[in-house]
Amino acid sequence: MDLSLNEHQTMLKNAAANFMERECPKNVLLQLDKHETGAPPELWHKIAELGWLGMLIPAQYGGSGSSFSDAAVLYQELGKGPLPGPHLSSAVLGALTVLEAGSEEQRRAILPRVADGVQVLTLAVLEPERRWGPDAVQLTAARSGGTFTLNGLKVFVHDALAATHFICAVRTTPGSSGAEGISLALVDRSLPGVSVRPLKGFMGWVGEVRFDGVQVPESSVLGALGGGWAALDRAIERALPILAAYQVGGCEAVFQMSVEYSRTRIQFSQPIGRFQRVQDHIIEITNAMDAARWVTNEALWKLDAGRDAASSVHMAKVVASDGYYTACNHAHEVHAGIGVSWEYGLNLHTRMSRTLYSHLGDPRYHKRRMAEALL
Amino acid sequence: MDFEIEYSTEQERFRAEVRSFLEANVPAAMVTTAAVESYTAEQYRMQRDLGRKMGVRGWLYPQFPQEYGGGGLDLDHVIILDEELERLGLHLPPYYDSGGKMGGPTILVWGTEEQKQHFLPPIFKGEVRTWQLLTEPGAGSDLAGVTTRAIRDGDDYVVNGQKVFVGSNNGAEWMWTIAVTDPEGPRHKNLSWFMIDSSLPGITMQPLELLTASGGEAGSASGEKQSVFFDDVRVPANCLVGGENNGWTVASTHLEVEHGGTGNIGRSRMREALFEHCRTHQLDGRPMTEDPDIRELLMDLYVDTEITRLYGLRNYYLAYAKKARTYEGPQYSAHRKTSNLKLTRTVQQILGYYALTTDPEYLVGEGHIEFMQRAGIVGTHPGGTIEVQKLIMARRIGIGSTPREKAGDLG
Ligand SMILES: Cc1cc2nc3c(=O)[nH]c(=O)nc-3n(C[C@H](O)[C@H](O)[C@H](O)COP(=O)(O)OP(=O)(O)OC[C@H]3O[C@@H](n4cnc5c(N)ncnc54)[C@H](O)[C@@H]3O)c2cc1C
Repeated sequence: MDLSLNEHQTMLKNAAANFMERECPKNVLLQLDKHETGAPPELWHKIAELGWLGMLIPAQYGGSGSSFSDAAVLYQELGKGPLPGPHLSSAVLGALTVLEAGSEEQRRAILPRVADGVQVLTLAVLEPERRWGPDAVQLTAARSGGTFTLNGLKVFVHDALAATHFICAVRTTPGSSGAEGISLALVDRSLPGVSVRPLKGFMGWVGEVRFDGVQVPESSVLGALGGGWAALDRAIERALPILAAYQVGGCEAVFQMSVEYSRTRIQFSQPIGRFQRVQDHIIEITNAMDAARWVTNEALWKLDAGRDAASSVHMAKVVASDGYYTACNHAHEVHAGIGVSWEYGLNLHTRMSRTLYSHLGDPRYHKRRMAEALL
Repeated sequence: MDFEIEYSTEQERFRAEVRSFLEANVPAAMVTTAAVESYTAEQYRMQRDLGRKMGVRGWLYPQFPQEYGGGGLDLDHVIILDEELERLGLHLPPYYDSGGKMGGPTILVWGTEEQKQHFLPPIFKGEVRTWQLLTEPGAGSDLAGVTTRAIRDGDDYVVNGQKVFVGSNNGAEWMWTIAVTDPEGPRHKNLSWFMIDSSLPGITMQPLELLTASGGEAGSASGEKQSVFFDDVRVPANCLVGGENNGWTVASTHLEVEHGGTGNIGRSRMREALFEHCRTHQLDGRPMTEDPDIRELLMDLYVDTEITRLYGLRNYYLAYAKKARTYEGPQYSAHRKTSNLKLTRTVQQILGYYALTTDPEYLVGEGHIEFMQRAGIVGTHPGGTIEVQKLIMARRIGIGSTPREKAGDLG
């Protein structure tokens, strides 16, 4: 047993931490907060140049084929910002979905461009009045000759405004339900009939994508017709611990902010950290962070070691989503007034914790998946 | 015990009078059922107009003595006014006025006769609106640690210092604050309480960008919060209320009000909006209210909001029936704050992303739900954090110490 980072991972962690410190200090993160995609081109190019968008892409498709554990080391650092932008949507969820679902030809065509950051992918799955799962997919793709025509609406699509291409879950078998009859169509955002708009509120970089008679060639369906959900599910199961690692990073950041504040904020002539009620909040943050960390780490190890990871990856999403949410709540209690001011930066995490809580299914959904694996 | 308010014929007569007054005097543009974060200047002007008209009848501050511009009305009548305004989504007063709600009772309890005559009628009649200026960068929970100074110089006090997280975006005619009048004096005996004309030279402000500026339900929104700076502001000595260096004792009155001591009989619009949404919307092709998870989550929320309502009702009764109170104020406040924060997650479990969005196509309850997602966090801080409420409860229950601390004097 060895639960420490290896040498390579330690270097990666330091490099990522340095990058965040240099390129994304708080004032930049606050600017990104108001940016439409969260990823201005200069910053996106820098990330691509570092090879960070190709980590999970095998070498033959232009990436570095790193392990899940390695990628998670990076994501944990990015989560500390939190650094917004479509890296998770494109280089993790998008790339893994193309790997799982795509034909050899499609992988060769798409993945090198994803690794370069030229092509930006995101999943478009959820529809109005639906919760996460195969029944969320109602959008129909009618076949006529060699083309599919898409009509329908996808909502709460992460990084919708940053994406150049949507991996759109569609029903290619009329009248099908559940996981059967779903296909994944790669839709170029610039096609006629595709319209995207941001959805505002207490969430970040989430949008609505409308498909209005959008015509896509049969060749843009990733892999086998009708087998889309199974492939998507496999890809997501591998992506979940990376997302969880990003949430762990978020927990670490609010933990550090809170500890630091408890040492320096003086009330009643003493640091507030002397008050047991404040200590309790920080203990809760610490526990939320470490629970998420170790559940996530084990899930990553199982994936890399080729073990059965089904219950672990879903548990990682449960514990990290609830943990990040909880950590932010307690951090707000530690900080009181200053913590809700925009300039302070805690809000960035709070909003991210809410946005990611429902992403790819909330903890209830993933507990159901755990039960399927365990019972 | 009787929880049902039985309305007398006199109350029903009064209700009819109030209702026809409101129908005649509340412009449609002022009433909005949507979540309001910040009123337009026009809406604000209408609120102030209504306030003045209500003030003339003594309905703006109905429970306060007539001789000082209040209504001199008993609980029976106050309830009717509260209920009728509630129907329109308005409050008593119909704008954020910490001066009247908290400063009013404070002056009543601690002011000289001359001060009561001078300060109270304009507030109670809605001619002026006032802000509460307590918090400073270095003094939040530790309110007695304020460092803003008010040093006597001839007939004036010269005020210097900074206040934060105060006020709103529409300005105020007056502001009240506590400041150090005896820099050498011992803690709690070095402060005095002032009502200050905000047009005095040397007062400046800067808006603050917060997650929301109000921790209550939408509609009681106070727009944005401000930092207020005092730079050699000369405040006439007769604006000091309750005796020099007695400010801490004076503050106990408004702190009691702020800690929930006067209760609340409002309903939860957030809850109504959520239930209505679930009754009328589908999830995965069937009514949301048929989903077992959602049914359970809705009942979790119902239980917590009912407890909040009942604590509020109890405190409302205790305050206006002038019954003895101990820890009830902070108990209400701590429960409301704790459960509102907890319920943000419950609501997101029910609604998913719908809980978070302000997009006109997808928002729930005209924005009340997204607003509660932020206000549930922000609302844990104003008027004393949850920890501070628990601290006060502990002292008043007498945990580990005798004698027990007393509740603040509401007069
Ligand atoms: C939306 C909003 C509106 C507001 N409106 C007003 C207003 O109109 N007028 C006004 O004057 N102020 C206002 N405030 C300020 C508010 O009263 C303060 O934020 C609050 O009292 C807490 O003070 P603080 O933010 O300085 O936190 P701090 O006092 O610094 O607290 C930090 C942490 O330390 C804890 N702590 C402090 N002392 C103790 C203790 N003895 N025991 C245990 N824990 C302790 C706190 O509970 C908290 O967890 C507003 C604040 C907000 C967010």
